[in-house]
Amino acid sequence: MSSEAPAGDEATTAPDETATAPAGAIAPRRLHPAGIAVLGVGSLRELALPLGIAFAAMVFGSGSGRPILRAVMYAAIGAVIAVLAGYLRWATTRWSVGDGRIRLRTGVLSEKVTDVPLGRVQAIDTVHGPLQRLFGVRGVQVQTAGGGRESEITLPAVSPADVELLRAAVRRRGEPAAAEPAPLAERRLGRRQLLVAALTAGQVGVLLPLLAVVPQLGEELWGNDIETAGRQGMRLVPESAPEWILAGLGLILLAWLLSTAGALFAFAGFTIARDQDRLRVRRGLLARREATVPVARVQAVRVVEGVLRRPFGLATVRAEVAGYAKEAAAAQTLFPLLRRGEVEPFLAAILPELADGIDGLDRPPRRALRRYVLPPAALLLALGAAACVAVPDAAPWPLLAVPPAAGYGVARWRAAGWRIEGGRLAVRFRRMARITVLAPTRRLQEHGVRQTVLQRRGELADVEVRVGAGTRGVVRHLDARMAGRLFDALRREEVALVDRAAEPAPPRARAAPGR
Amino acid sequence: MLTAGPTTSTPEPSRTLAPAARVLWRLEGAATAVVGLVAAGVLQATAGGTRAALGWAAALIAAAVAVVLLPELRWRRWRWEVREHEIDIRRGTLAVTRTLVPMLRVQHVDTKRDLLQQALGLATVVFHTAAGANEIPALTVAEAAQVRDRIAELARTADEL
Repeated sequence: MSSEAPAGDEATTAPDETATAPAGAIAPRRLHPAGIAVLGVGSLRELALPLGIAFAAMVFGSGSGRPILRAVMYAAIGAVIAVLAGYLRWATTRWSVGDGRIRLRTGVLSEKVTDVPLGRVQAIDTVHGPLQRLFGVRGVQVQTAGGGRESEITLPAVSPADVELLRAAVRRRGEPAAAEPAPLAERRLGRRQLLVAALTAGQVGVLLPLLAVVPQLGEELWGNDIETAGRQGMRLVPESAPEWILAGLGLILLAWLLSTAGALFAFAGFTIARDQDRLRVRRGLLARREATVPVARVQAVRVVEGVLRRPFGLATVRAEVAGYAKEAAAAQTLFPLLRRGEVEPFLAAILPELADGIDGLDRPPRRALRRYVLPPAALLLALGAAACVAVPDAAPWPLLAVPPAAGYGVARWRAAGWRIEGGRLAVRFRRMARITVLAPTRRLQEHGVRQTVLQRRGELADVEVRVGAGTRGVVRHLDARMAGRLFDALRREEVALVDRAAEPAPPRARAAPGR
Repeated sequence: MLTAGPTTSTPEPSRTLAPAARVLWRLEGAATAVVGLVAAGVLQATAGGTRAALGWAAALIAAAVAVVLLPELRWRRWRWEVREHEIDIRRGTLAVTRTLVPMLRVQHVDTKRDLLQQALGLATVVFHTAAGANEIPALTVAEAAQVRDRIAELARTADEL
């Protein structure tokens, strides 16, 4: 939480206790020479778009003949650029450990020095991309508490021996090393599970609006010109309703295939292991990633039952980790696919600190049902009516969207629920996927109640909790008195936490309230 | 009308915003009202007749709500209190929201003033947690500074526990 140490002023560095332990120091050194390739390809990727456009212009341009020759020439130029850029960046990069910090010095034209105090290092994560594996090296990401989208220090190519040195240096400074204990629990994603996880990874919720836009887009682009533009030339543009539907289905299929492939690559070989106070996650097909998450930084667990998974009783388990909120969903995954019934035992084994049942929640009263159903149904009714007026030919069809909207409301009502028990909070709600948030009440960042004028008449109220930057749970339309009591109960838990922490020698000191 | 939101046994927050907050919100409301009035004017120029009359009526009603009614309601509803272990906030007109932020979770506090607030001698206190920011808008400058320092002090001691 303290401000980050700016670039180094070694002279003034306080001679703290670590300075007397030069055993953990690593002298300034270059990346592994494989870094030339990794950095070069990275540079090339940054240039990919302009190069690609130039390339396309060459090949398809109406210039002189021999496009193939030109293409080859450009490929060669690209390769030369990659090697040069890679070499320059490699030659100007140095990293070191000493004086209680990791230092990275980079920059071809302007030098940039990044210092990360060892005490702030949360984990040393590794990535084995295809290139790294080719050369037998690892990419290293130094994860810190600040945690933006990328880690503050990224070393694209480090020999395995150096990775061990770095890990040892961090361990020496961090909590007294538990001497790399054997994992207490481990779970692996099987091949069939991977396949099922990939096939059900698609997010229908993202696709549906797209589907609605497609016909409009077609009309915008081609409008009434379809006739005049000549049928033969524009056969790609669907003309009748069935063709539009086919086109839409095709698009959905394409998106689904893409999401399936993405999930296959991201989750192949997924393994999670728990040792003393860390979770280790390994995953990835082309780029093998190895991430370490300190258990103390897991704020909450989200059990996500996606639209495609819910019918089969399947769920994904994700973690809200302080500092990781902006990273990709895959990076927050604790396990890609579990049966509902497996979730609790899985958490009990891997993350008992946050384990809790996902069933047996208190639900909103029956009189709240219509409040869930009416808004979406009324909205779609209004939209449908407007569509009918605007396009009389389409007459009753737009109104067909009303029953699904009402059904969505019912589903939301059935999903909503909450429970507080033994300092653990469970909150369940549904947007498209059904999400259950499990969090210790002492990890809550804030909580609140909300009541609209209409809810006041029906004696209902919403309850909202925030656990971290990425996890916000809202249960709508609870009984108002219940909501008030929930609000008070959460407050009591927080006050109890303060009292406990104020005791001289709290027995549960391990669960330090700070970050 | 001031007891609003679901009943809790947590004491209601007691402090109000600076009275000038109403002026601030009226000015802000007036800015949006101008947009509506301009739209009505355009309607008058293009369509004319009864439609334009309806447009004017709607724009005027909206302007009255934005400039007169809403700022008053908002101000009456807004309550806040900084306690030793928590910050308690209640706000909202059609929907009343009550928010409780444990002091343990506050990471840092600042005050900010935009141009209008500077003209009116007001300031907003913003306090951040890992989950995001919350505000106490429109306090007098002196009070905002006091609240900011108090929260900073309490959050610091909370951290030391």
